[in-house]
Amino acid sequence: MSGMRGRLCIVVIGLALQGCGLIVDVVQLIRPVAADEVQTLCARKKLQVGIAVEPFRPFIFPATFTDEGLRVTGMDVELIQEITSALSKHCGDQPITPVLQLVRYRDLFVLLNEVKLDLFVSATSANVPVPGRSGLAYSIPYFYDGGIGGIVARPEVSDRVRAQLRGQSEQLDEPAVLRRVLAGLTVAVQEGTSAQFYAEAHLTGIKLVLCDSLPAAFESQEPVIDVILGNQPVLQYIVTRVRKSWQQLTADGDRPLLLTREHYVVVMAEENYRLRWFVNGVLFRLDESGRLAEMRRRWVEETYAYPRRAASEGLPFAAENMAQHYDQGTCRGRSRL
Amino acid sequence: MRKRLDNDRTRKVLTGSQLIIPLFLFVSTGTMSDFAFAVDRAEAEETARLLAKLLQAGRLVIDQHQALIDDPRKGDKGFTPEVFERQLIKEFRDKTGIDLSTLATTPTSVAIPPLAKELLPALVQASKEVVRDAQVVINQRGIGYKNFIPATYGSQAATRFSKKSNVRLKQTTLQPRNPKNEPDEYETSVLKWLAGRPRAEAYVSELTEQGRTLRVVMPIYYVGDCLKCHGEPKGDLDISGYPKEGAREGDLAGAITVAAPLDLR
Repeated sequence: MSGMRGRLCIVVIGLALQGCGLIVDVVQLIRPVAADEVQTLCARKKLQVGIAVEPFRPFIFPATFTDEGLRVTGMDVELIQEITSALSKHCGDQPITPVLQLVRYRDLFVLLNEVKLDLFVSATSANVPVPGRSGLAYSIPYFYDGGIGGIVARPEVSDRVRAQLRGQSEQLDEPAVLRRVLAGLTVAVQEGTSAQFYAEAHLTGIKLVLCDSLPAAFESQEPVIDVILGNQPVLQYIVTRVRKSWQQLTADGDRPLLLTREHYVVVMAEENYRLRWFVNGVLFRLDESGRLAEMRRRWVEETYAYPRRAASEGLPFAAENMAQHYDQGTCRGRSRL
Repeated sequence: MRKRLDNDRTRKVLTGSQLIIPLFLFVSTGTMSDFAFAVDRAEAEETARLLAKLLQAGRLVIDQHQALIDDPRKGDKGFTPEVFERQLIKEFRDKTGIDLSTLATTPTSVAIPPLAKELLPALVQASKEVVRDAQVVINQRGIGYKNFIPATYGSQAATRFSKKSNVRLKQTTLQPRNPKNEPDEYETSVLKWLAGRPRAEAYVSELTEQGRTLRVVMPIYYVGDCLKCHGEPKGDLDISGYPKEGAREGDLAGAITVAAPLDLR
């Protein structure tokens, strides 16, 4: 008897569901369900963007107080504005608001994997082998000809490095040369950046120090840092504008010594194909029109007051999330002797 | 002390102690309608003066803590909105003799008119909100200059206060770094006039818009600390990247201006 009832229920449910496909079609016509992540962004009207809380001048300046409130600015922030502006047009001229999450650089990768970000922009290199980093995809470059460079503070270290570099018969950017030149020195890198992976892959015989940020590396007293390796455009900006007592490692006179050639990209989740196509399209058009070159000139070459730019063109950020991240952190030694 | 500007307007330059005299004159010589107008103006004028003094006190508190705020080696600075409020109240009391912490129970008088009793706490609140919102920037460790300075504090506090009241509070100068602080025509004329006069603890008070709005302009003069960013050599970039103005101690830096409609209540 109960079996009969069960079968009857199934038949009734089956009859009731017969028209559901049509209902779904009607709903789709009236209020279309997003077919891809770009349409999802259009429906959400917000783009969740990660950005490093550590200053990567001129790509990202420190969060600053302005007459407009708290703002962050820099070349990467301008790029975010270009992407959201293009998204707004794509979404039928409805404004898409960038919601900036300022977090530690290494946490950008975690948040992206946890689908808490749609993308992040923080002078990230796409062409450096990184072990154990999966699920990410990279846009085409927005900044060409970056790479890892080095800076030194103490004159005796600077003199020693220069003398040894002059005495090398091999190509100066060969890892073996740097290994010999930097042997015995305390070398700081920011955790999670390509400089860390370069140092771990190539530089034995040094005392490697992992720092949460570049400011932490500058502050470090125990141990005292001899050399900082990092994004060369960032280091160049720092030694010419912010910390003039530090000098770049150079080869052939004044030419900055580059250990790698890197291009900086926008980072997204691997499965977000539509978003990657979209961002690539935006970057391609910016490149073709000369806007990228103009942005590079504005931020890298021009002399300007970043608080003024922060006030006039900077973006607000989610301050409640920043509170867990704003400490620029410390450095931890990791012997490579 | 009066300076004739044109046929319609009279610019008054008053010091705090002089204020009582014109007040008295208005009250004692006016007709009944003049009497009401005079009291309204006097109340608005004293309120405006106190508001400008309070904003100035807030700027001073920020200035006194600038080294702490910009200390890259320290994370939590302990410069909370509550700490700021206590020091703001102290600074204001030292300058005016008015204790804002007991304002609610202080009887209304010529020194503390009803409008001031209403608006001064609103400006304290707006100022505290600015300091509260700036905490994440102030407490950044490893970052020195954060652009949380008297000028940016003042702009934000004035803007927030102005949005919540009918009184417009503003910082302005003849060479503003922030375009929003650009002086209007009236402010420009007063600033130019003040720039040609020796430094004095005085303010300018004037009725505009056919007597409907009271404008008060309280000058700010450069002191030693200001000159790190605004002094010599002119054109050199300061810590924030702005070209220095080449100012000297005692030069007119700008002004805090207040525009109060006389039909506030």
